[in-house]
Amino acid sequence: MKYNDKHIESLAKIVGPNSILYHKEDVIAYDCDGFTLEKFLPKAVVFPKNTSEVSSLVKYCSSNEIPFLARGAGTGLSGGAIPLNGEVIISLVKMKRLISVDLENRRAVVEPGFVNLKLTNSIADKGYYYAPDPSSQYCCTIGGNVAENAGGAHCLKYGVTTNHILGLEVVLPNGEIIEIGQEGIPDAPGYDLLGLLTGSEGTLGIVTKITVRILKNPEAKQTVLAYFNKIEDGSQAVSDIISSGIVPAALEMMDKTAIEGVEAAAFPVGHPKDIEALLLIEVDGISVGIEEQISDILRVCKNHNVREVKVAQDEQERSRWWANRKTGFGAMGAISPDYLVQDGVIPRSKLPEVLKKIHEISVDSGLRIANIFHAGDGNLHPLILFDAREEGAAQKALEAGSKCLKVCSDVGGSITGEHGVGIEKINEMHFIFSEQEINIQTNIREVFNPNNLLNSGKLFPSPSRCVEIKKVSKTMTS
Amino acid sequence: MSVLEQDIKKDTLCSSKRSISNYLWSDPPDENKWADCVHCGMCLEACPTYELTGQEQQSPRGRVHLIKSVAEGKLEVNDKFAAPIFDCLDCRACTTACPADVDVGGLIEEARGQIRQAMPLEGWKGRVSKLFLQDIIPNQKRLNSVGGLLDFYQKSGMQKVVRNTGLLNILPEHLVKMEAVLPKLNKSVKEPYKHQTFIQAKGETKHQVSFIKGCIMDVMFSDINQSTINVLTLNGNDVTIPENQTCCGALHVHAGDRETGRRLAKQNIEAFKDSDKVIVNSAGCGCMLKEYPELFREEPEWQKRAEEFSQKVEDISKYLYDTGFRKPNTELKTRITYHDACHLAHGQGIHQEPREILYSIPGVEMVTMPNSDRCCGSAGIYNITNPEMAEAVLDSKMENVPDEVEMISMGNPGCMLQMAMGVQKYGRNQKIVHTVQLLDWAYQEEEKQGRESVGEKRGEI
Repeated sequence: MKYNDKHIESLAKIVGPNSILYHKEDVIAYDCDGFTLEKFLPKAVVFPKNTSEVSSLVKYCSSNEIPFLARGAGTGLSGGAIPLNGEVIISLVKMKRLISVDLENRRAVVEPGFVNLKLTNSIADKGYYYAPDPSSQYCCTIGGNVAENAGGAHCLKYGVTTNHILGLEVVLPNGEIIEIGQEGIPDAPGYDLLGLLTGSEGTLGIVTKITVRILKNPEAKQTVLAYFNKIEDGSQAVSDIISSGIVPAALEMMDKTAIEGVEAAAFPVGHPKDIEALLLIEVDGISVGIEEQISDILRVCKNHNVREVKVAQDEQERSRWWANRKTGFGAMGAISPDYLVQDGVIPRSKLPEVLKKIHEISVDSGLRIANIFHAGDGNLHPLILFDAREEGAAQKALEAGSKCLKVCSDVGGSITGEHGVGIEKINEMHFIFSEQEINIQTNIREVFNPNNLLNSGKLFPSPSRCVEIKKVSKTMTS
Repeated sequence: MSVLEQDIKKDTLCSSKRSISNYLWSDPPDENKWADCVHCGMCLEACPTYELTGQEQQSPRGRVHLIKSVAEGKLEVNDKFAAPIFDCLDCRACTTACPADVDVGGLIEEARGQIRQAMPLEGWKGRVSKLFLQDIIPNQKRLNSVGGLLDFYQKSGMQKVVRNTGLLNILPEHLVKMEAVLPKLNKSVKEPYKHQTFIQAKGETKHQVSFIKGCIMDVMFSDINQSTINVLTLNGNDVTIPENQTCCGALHVHAGDRETGRRLAKQNIEAFKDSDKVIVNSAGCGCMLKEYPELFREEPEWQKRAEEFSQKVEDISKYLYDTGFRKPNTELKTRITYHDACHLAHGQGIHQEPREILYSIPGVEMVTMPNSDRCCGSAGIYNITNPEMAEAVLDSKMENVPDEVEMISMGNPGCMLQMAMGVQKYGRNQKIVHTVQLLDWAYQEEEKQGRESVGEKRGEI
C-alpha cells in the first residue's frame, strides 16, 4: 500500500494496514468524544492488538515528536480523548479480552478495551460483580474508567474506580512497559502509583492491562422511589438519610427538568411531571437489617412531606427505574439538541442552597438546566441544555457551566467528582488550585511525560492555554 | 459535474437552505433527526458493525456524525463517506438502545438516497442492481419467470449438474453459499387460489383483512404465505389479496433508490385504499410499509395518505395476538428457539407476541437464544452486497444458537435464508421456520387427528 505520509506508513507497519485510519472521512468521527463542544481532527487513528504494538506505537511517536493519546469507547464527558493537537489516537477497543477471572482471590484481569458491564455480565452467574457503575457502563471501557477514575451511582457505598484497581500494566510515554501493584498487596511499600495513575486522564501513560477487584453479589437489595413536591424537601431527605447512619448503595436525585427529559425519551417510568424532585434510593447487603433500613428511609421521606414513596416490587420494576436513570444524560436529546454536563461536588448539607443558585444561573443565562445526580455523595450533574445551531449558545452554555462550578467550589466543594477535567474544566482548575499547586502537579507529570507529547493540553492549564481555549470556543461557536 | 454546475444545483435544489450543506439533492437527511443525538455513545455496543470493527465511523453515533458533517459542509458526498453509510446493516438495534430515540435508520436511508443520486452505481454493479431492483422485483410476472427459471434449475436436475461439475466454483463465494440453501421453490400463493382475490374465513367471519404477499416472499416462500392465509382464515378472518399490490420497496430504499421506493409506495397505498387492516408476514416489508410517510416528506398530500396507510399495517404475529388467536389443542412435539428479526424487534417493537404464539402450541419447548435480537447479517440484500461483514455477523449469531433445538423460528424471509446459510456452514441440522408455519402445522395436526377445533381462546395465556 502507498502512503503519502511517511509517519502514516511507519505506523501502518506497526499495526498492519487494516488497523489504521487516516482519511478525513474515516477519522472525523474521532474529532470529539462525549464532550462535543470542541472538535479537532486526529492525524490518524491506530488500533493496536497487544501491549507490544502499543509500546512500538508510543516509541515511534515519542522519538518522532508526534503528539498522541489513548482512547477507549469515547464516552468521556470532559473531552479527555479529543485530539487537541492533531494527535495520533491509539484506540484500545481491539484490546478487549477478559484475560482471567480468579474468584477465589476475587479479582479479574482485563484488557483496557473491555466494556465495563461485560465484566459483571460474565461473572454474574457465579454470584459476582464489578462495582463501579458509571451510567455509560453499557459501552464505556474499563481502560477509560481507569483514566478518568470513573464513578457511578453505586460508588456512594462502594467507592469509585480507584478503590477497585489492584494492578496495572502501563506503557510509559517513552514506550517502556511497566507493571504496578500486580500482586494486589493492599498497601505496597513506596508511593501509591496505582492511585496516581488512576484518574490521571491519560497524561502519565497508557494502561494496557488491568487487575480489578470483583465483589460477591449482595445477599439482598431493595430499591425505593420517592417523589417530592418541593426540591428543598428532597434535598433535606438526602441529608437526613445519610445522617441517620444509613449508607445506601445509591442515592440519586432528579429534578423537574430532568424528569421531563427521561419521560420524553426511550425508557419512561411514568414519573409525575409536576414534582420538583425524585429520589432513587437503593440499599443492599446481608438480608438482616435491610427491612429496617427501608423503613427508616420511608420514615425520613415522610418527615419531609414526600408525595409518594414506593419500594420496587420485583427485579423488573427495579431495572426499569435504573434504566430510566442511567440513560438520563442521553435522554436529554429528546428535549434539547445539545447539552453540556457539569460535574461539581459539594458538601451534602449545601444541597438546597447550591440547587437554588444553579436555578438562578439558569434564569440569568436563559438556558434550561436539568439536574440528574448522585445526591448521596454530593456529586452534582447540572445538564445545561442548548442548541449549538443558535449563535453564541454554546459559549453561553460553557459560561453557565463554569458559573455552576464556581458555586460548587465557593461552598467548599470541587469542580469534578467523576468525569475528569479534560479540556472542559481546565480553566476552572484555578477555582480550587493556586498556580503553585498546579505547578507541583505538572512537575509530577514531567517525571512520566517529560516532552508532554501524551495527551497534551488536558487536566492542567498552562498560563497560555487558558487564552487559547477561550479563543477556540469562540471560533467554534461562530 | 463541474464545480459551477454543482453550485447552481445547490442553489436551485436547496433554495430554502442556501447553506454550506453538501447534500445537493431533494429529500436530504433530516436535521431534526440528528438534533436528537447528543453523542452519548449508548448505541455503540448495540451495533454489530462497531462490535466487529471497533471503528467509530462504523458505529451509529459515528454515522450520524458523518451525515451531519456533510450537512455542515465539512465532508463531501464521496466514496469514503459512502462506505460506512452502506456498511450499516440497517438493523435498527441502535434505535432500541438509544436513550433519545434517534432515528438512525431513517438518517442512513436518507443519506443513501443522496449518495445514489450523487454517485449512481456504475458498471456491472449498476446493471445488476437495476435489473433486480427496478426491472424484476417490482414486476410480478418477471419475478415469477425468474422463479420459474430457478424452479427449472432445481427440478430439471440442472442444480445437481451445476453442483457436481464445479460450475459453482466460478461464482463469487457468497453466492455459492446462498445457492446451497435456496428454498425449494413453490408456486405463488395466488396459484392455488386461481387468482382469487378473496378467501372466506373458515367458520364465522369476525374480521376483514387484506394481505400483502410480498415479492420475494411470494416466489421463494409461498408456503409461508399459504400458512399465513390458513391461520388467518382459521381465526375468522376474511382475507382479501388486492390485485394491484406490489413489492414494498424496502430493498430499494435500503439501496438508496428512494424514487422507486416512492413509486412502489404509491402503488401499494392505492391498491390498499379500501382495506381496513393490511397484514404482512415479512418483518422487513412490515417495517417499510409502516415507514412510508418518511418517503413523502416533500409531498404533503401523499404523506397524509401514507400515514393513513401505515396505521393499517400490522405484522401477522401481533395481529393474531391482539385479536386473540385460537390456541391449538394438539401437541406438536418439538424443541425450538426464536430469533428476533431486526425489523420486527427493533423496527416495529414486536418482541413478545411471536413468542406468545409459540408458547401457545402444546408440546413446543422453547429454549432461549442469548442475544436473540442481534442481527443475523441478512439485512435485506446486505448479505449479497457486503458478504464479508454479513458472514462475520452471522458467525457471532450462530454462536448463540442453542445446540439442542430442532428448529429456529423467526418472522422474516431474509433472516430465514441467512440463518439457513449459518446452519449449513456450521454443519448444524436445525430447520428454519416462520412463526406462522408452526401455528399452521399445529392446526393441521389437529385436523389430521380429526378433532374439532374447539380449543380455548388465547386470552388465558
